[in-house]
Amino acid sequence: MARHVIEVRGLTKTYSPHRAPVRALDRVSFTVDEGQFVTLVGPSGGGKSTLLLILAGLVESTTGEVWVDGEQVRGPVPEKIGIVFQDATLLPWKTALANVEFPLDLRHVPRGVRRERALALLEMVGLQDFADRYPHELSGGMRQRVAIARGLVQDPRIVLMDEPFGALDEQTRTKMGQELLRIWEKTRKTIFFITHSLTEAIYLSDVVLVMSPRPGRILDVMPVDLPRPRRFEMMGSEAFGQARNRIWKLITEGEG
Amino acid sequence: MQRTALAGQLLFVGAVLAGWEAVSQWRWVDPSLLPPFSAVIQILWVFLRDGAFLADLQVTGVEVLTAFVIAAPLAISTGFLLGEKLHWGEVVNPVIHVVLAVPQSIFLPIFILAFGIGFLEKVIFGITHAYFVIVVNTVAAVRAIPAPLVVAARSFGATPVQIYTRIYLPAMLPLVVTGLRLGMIFNIIGVLLAEMYASRHGIGRLIFSWGEAFQIRELLAGILLVSVATIALNEVMRLWEARVGRWRSATLGS
Amino acid sequence: MSRTQAVRIGGLAAALLAWEGVSRLGWISPIILASPSAVLAAIRADGGVFLQAFEVTLAEIAIAIALAWSLGIGVGVAAGSLPRLGATAGPLLSSLFAIPLIILYPLFVAWVGMGPASKILFGAASGFFPIALNALSGVRCLDPRFALVARGMGATTGQIFFKVLLPLALPAIISGLRVGTSLIIIGVVVTEMLASVGGVGFLISYHRTMFNTGHVYLGIFLALLAALLVNRGLSHLEERFGRWRILEQTRA
Ligand SMILES: Nc1ncnc2c1ncn2[C@@H]1O[C@H](COP(=O)(O)OP(=O)(O)OP(=O)(O)O)[C@@H](O)[C@H]1O
Ligand SMILES: [Mg+2]
Repeated sequence: MARHVIEVRGLTKTYSPHRAPVRALDRVSFTVDEGQFVTLVGPSGGGKSTLLLILAGLVESTTGEVWVDGEQVRGPVPEKIGIVFQDATLLPWKTALANVEFPLDLRHVPRGVRRERALALLEMVGLQDFADRYPHELSGGMRQRVAIARGLVQDPRIVLMDEPFGALDEQTRTKMGQELLRIWEKTRKTIFFITHSLTEAIYLSDVVLVMSPRPGRILDVMPVDLPRPRRFEMMGSEAFGQARNRIWKLITEGEG
Repeated sequence: MQRTALAGQLLFVGAVLAGWEAVSQWRWVDPSLLPPFSAVIQILWVFLRDGAFLADLQVTGVEVLTAFVIAAPLAISTGFLLGEKLHWGEVVNPVIHVVLAVPQSIFLPIFILAFGIGFLEKVIFGITHAYFVIVVNTVAAVRAIPAPLVVAARSFGATPVQIYTRIYLPAMLPLVVTGLRLGMIFNIIGVLLAEMYASRHGIGRLIFSWGEAFQIRELLAGILLVSVATIALNEVMRLWEARVGRWRSATLGS
Repeated sequence: MSRTQAVRIGGLAAALLAWEGVSRLGWISPIILASPSAVLAAIRADGGVFLQAFEVTLAEIAIAIALAWSLGIGVGVAAGSLPRLGATAGPLLSSLFAIPLIILYPLFVAWVGMGPASKILFGAASGFFPIALNALSGVRCLDPRFALVARGMGATTGQIFFKVLLPLALPAIISGLRVGTSLIIIGVVVTEMLASVGGVGFLISYHRTMFNTGHVYLGIFLALLAALLVNRGLSHLEERFGRWRILEQTRA
């Protein structure tokens, strides 16, 4: 049995701004195995992003613990965890290459080394010819690929992705999903992926975590029994439809 | 959140005033250079019941109001025409922006050479300070009218008058009010500067002569009064701005 | 010489000619409108004096700029990156911005005298507010995820500040510098006009009382020239550091 690379125990998060406190997460526990592709789906405002930020060590939980790779998370662990957000959050005054290099630049990695590493990653996401372009010269899909390359550049074992394809049109989105699977199969990272799209969740992942409306609880941990490599036609299969229906039912009943 | 911010601001202002009182009372600074806050308030209280002072205040008030009452409609109609008739706008707008970027204050000596020293010169100087900001904001307001709304209203059979009052007006108002507020502030600056530079009446003149005569207590009282008055005016206009602009923040926020 | 340059120079020459023509026609009294030749005469008569005064004025402006820029950016960025402080300081600063600062000038004169110090103080004060306000809102408007991503990459607080937040806010900061700096220049010259013993503003006022309109125009031109030069410099700065912002906007 593969070991748990992420282990979450009894996470609760209450935001307490100046007025009424907001409970975003309620006793969330789950584990993720090494090399797994896990997605998290759930209604808007349910606390998904909050969970991801806690996993990354960027937000403190109110109670509960997160263990990554046998160590408790108490702050950012950039050498273990890479992050990719929606809208890419690339630095607009840096080229694609410089953006991918940026995390290494922060740690004073010598120029030659980081350039080589960044170029290799740009090549992996298929953007070797766009290294000198600025973010505003790239399409939405390309920007998101740069962000993925940036998330991978420190060679983390885990990549956390918060709706990375949320702002893309459906065709680009499907293509990016396939691309991501290819990268995942090549690198064998553990991926924790947030999405609103049930189709995307099932198509991509080994396991789907279904979250309730706020305060977020894990309603179900649902393994996806579709063979790999995934192919586009599988979306029409019966197993796919059944999985979709099940998640939909969980979410809507959870709301009612 | 807003309440704590307001409390913080009041606290800050209170602390500054208390600090002012303290350093002067305890003679950490020369009280002839910075008389205590309480002394300044006392003399301000005397002024506010002094007919001569009130007459000077009135002179300034009338100048400011006259300039504003002339500048506002003039500037709004200019801005509306420039914004509506796009082909004029293309030609004139860059010119207005250049004029706006050129500081008017520096031309004060020429205004005096042209109009002499007096009411007319102050009012005209105030008008030129207010005019251009209002024009620029009105043009922006016309440009901000959502075209699809106008088309939709037409398709519902709205008359031109209805389109002006129901769509143009509410859509334009927030930016126009911003322009009016800035115009008012610039106008006040213009009139006060003109009074300080050369004049026989007005609060600007008083402030300047108190400075020359080294009457710091009176000078501070004047500064305090003008500051409080302009801040209050600005806040009132900001409230108005927020009121007519509520729909904007509601759709743009979040 | 490029075409646009030729057009510009031609336009300028035409404007000068028209100006001279209008003055010669005598529709407008020469007391109000000095002709180019009157300005030239002023240069011939007192060019050296004006140049010396211009140096004084420029030095005052330079010191005021140094003060206002550093204090304005420092206070603005600091208040912007601390949410609590920003929520308090923002509205306070913009309320204070409504005060016609010019009324403080007599106080400055009483405190530090009629010399350059009072002009520097006033110039710096009038530049401070727009610079601080723009820096503050520039930092506050940033998407908080930029800082989060950087921290997730292992950036230190200093790195987040200097490598992410400051560059992101730079276009907003520079547009504050533009407004603030032109206020500084005008503030210095106008206060020289009001009460002083030197500088271009002093000469403007002096010659106004003598009805030497050509001299008055010359002084005003020098002040505008200073404003133009600084504006040019800032445009370069904007182009260098804010290019991506402009490109992004033209794309959208
Ligand atoms: N920094 C914060 N301070 C206060 N409340 C917050 C903060 N961040 C999030 N919240 C609140 O916590 C709840 C969960 O937010 P979160 O962003 O985690 O939801 P989400 O599931 O990611 O939503 P979406 O699908 O729309 O991205 C929301 O009600 C939100 O308003
Ligand atoms: Mg989210």
